[in-house]
Amino acid sequence: MKSSTLRTFQTVHTWTGLVAGFALFVAFYAGALSVFHDDIALWQNPPWRAAGADVSLDTLARRMVEAHPQARDDFGLVLAPRGTTQAPYAYWVQDGEARFATAAAIAAPSTGDPARGSLADFVYALHYSLGIPTVGLYLMGVVSLLYGLALVSGLIIHLPQLLGDLFALRAGRNLKRLWQDAHNAIGVLSLPFHLIFAVTGAILCLSTLALAALNPLAFDGKLSEAYARATTTAPARPAGGAAAPMLPPETLVERARAAALRTGVSSFEPDYIHYMHYGDRNAVVEVRGLSQRTLGTFGTVALDGADGTVLSVHVGARQDANGIVNSSMYALHFGSFGGRAVQWLYGLLGLAGAFLFYSGNLLWIESRRRRRHAEQPRRVRAMARATVGVCVGSCLGISAAFVATLLAGALGADPALPQQWACYGGFALACLYAGLRPVPRATPELLLATALLTALAALLDLARNAGVWLQPWSHATAAVFAVDLAGLALAAGFAGLARASWRRARHGEPNHVWALAAEG
Amino acid sequence: MIGRCLAGTLLGFPLAGFLLALLLQWLPDHGEPWLIPVLILFFPLWTGLMIGAYFFRNGARAWLALGAANALAWAALWLSRHAAGA
Repeated sequence: MKSSTLRTFQTVHTWTGLVAGFALFVAFYAGALSVFHDDIALWQNPPWRAAGADVSLDTLARRMVEAHPQARDDFGLVLAPRGTTQAPYAYWVQDGEARFATAAAIAAPSTGDPARGSLADFVYALHYSLGIPTVGLYLMGVVSLLYGLALVSGLIIHLPQLLGDLFALRAGRNLKRLWQDAHNAIGVLSLPFHLIFAVTGAILCLSTLALAALNPLAFDGKLSEAYARATTTAPARPAGGAAAPMLPPETLVERARAAALRTGVSSFEPDYIHYMHYGDRNAVVEVRGLSQRTLGTFGTVALDGADGTVLSVHVGARQDANGIVNSSMYALHFGSFGGRAVQWLYGLLGLAGAFLFYSGNLLWIESRRRRRHAEQPRRVRAMARATVGVCVGSCLGISAAFVATLLAGALGADPALPQQWACYGGFALACLYAGLRPVPRATPELLLATALLTALAALLDLARNAGVWLQPWSHATAAVFAVDLAGLALAAGFAGLARASWRRARHGEPNHVWALAAEG
Repeated sequence: MIGRCLAGTLLGFPLAGFLLALLLQWLPDHGEPWLIPVLILFFPLWTGLMIGAYFFRNGARAWLALGAANALAWAALWLSRHAAGA
């Protein structure tokens, strides 16, 4: 390849990395945590801390059609993660707007965040939209596209020495070489993982917009119906007009599970129930669930709402090519296809991905550094401040949200606002701190603060549940304990980074933005 | 640099769409049983075209080549639709 082409791709890689790197860091750190979404939900609302009345799904469905009879032809019930005391909620569309309500608040549905106050969903929203409603999703879609460009251009630059340097990690006096080796090794070795996210991330965030634009442009306006046909699994049955009593959702879920297991999958964990024509003799109920030991992990079973007859099964290998690919796209993005082992793999690769973007910024700084001057260029200092403020700040904000959720729960307060204030407030303060304080001091101090907050959340929770650890353990006990242990491990990691950056500030090369001597 | 970037981004989008529409057109049943796998190729294809645009010597060439490719793909799509209709 010509050297001018290589230089062009170097520029493309640098710019896409700079523009998208910060958002990608947040997406990967919050994403690594979101792999354990259900465990974090259990951590916040474990079964031994039952809050409020335990409302059955049947009550929720009955109250739903009683309060909103116009929605009976099309509404859904979103189930809470298994074992939590989080309430399930109904979902429907009214006047073109999505509505959400739990059984307790069925008369006053909200149009906003259905899972307000849920820490797991808060971290998940940070992952896919930085917590910004609507626009954030598209923003992250564009970021996914830039991420794809950065991956391919990075691979092209690195291609000439790809095999020779792949396993090289030259730890010596030349720190830039070491960062470069680490950046390349992680980038290339986890490339399949990153390609999955660049592609599925763009699809999950931007497919609605892209389909709307491509439909008239290239598909003669026929794409929307074809897409609907390819993704709809429930049999179309018009309402019969005659009323009929409905079987309770709990019964239908059990029948759906039995039908799903007969296809050969090893499990079927329902997470969504879709009702069509509730109360009618022709009512159709579609149960969606997550299965293991199959390529198409998300599957659906449609049943007759009145007598529970199984109408169609789209689970595991019983799905067509469209269903399998659609379902495996989610499985590949969420890491939900291989139990705990894959979850841990995704969590670790997610943290490694966050490191990839962090090290990219460090490399940018290293290659623009003045070796013979204590004073570093203004843009290098600005980049160092921004990197520390945004990257460490987002870790700090998320840990602060954990602490705030725990304290609000202990005091019996609604955790939604404390969560947001702690997270965004912590993030803003960290950015401010990194902007004003000398970089070599701000870095270890912010890392230490993050370590302390992370440890605090874990230790407070361990102490709060002290009585539970002595009882016989259940699935939920183990999950909550594991979240606390993972918190302590993360805290130790942050403390280690704080120590390393402090050492570098004191004993590292002096002519550097990270060196204390540079302050003069 | 910016010329090739814009050419790849703006002309790559419709070109990727036309190419996939052509592929669906030529598959049996207009590709309905493979609609989702084909649509999933859209973003990688677009990204590939954005990267591909940088291999041209300058922005003008990238605009010219990608513009011509768009025109060709659109014409092929139009022809195959009307040939199928006849």
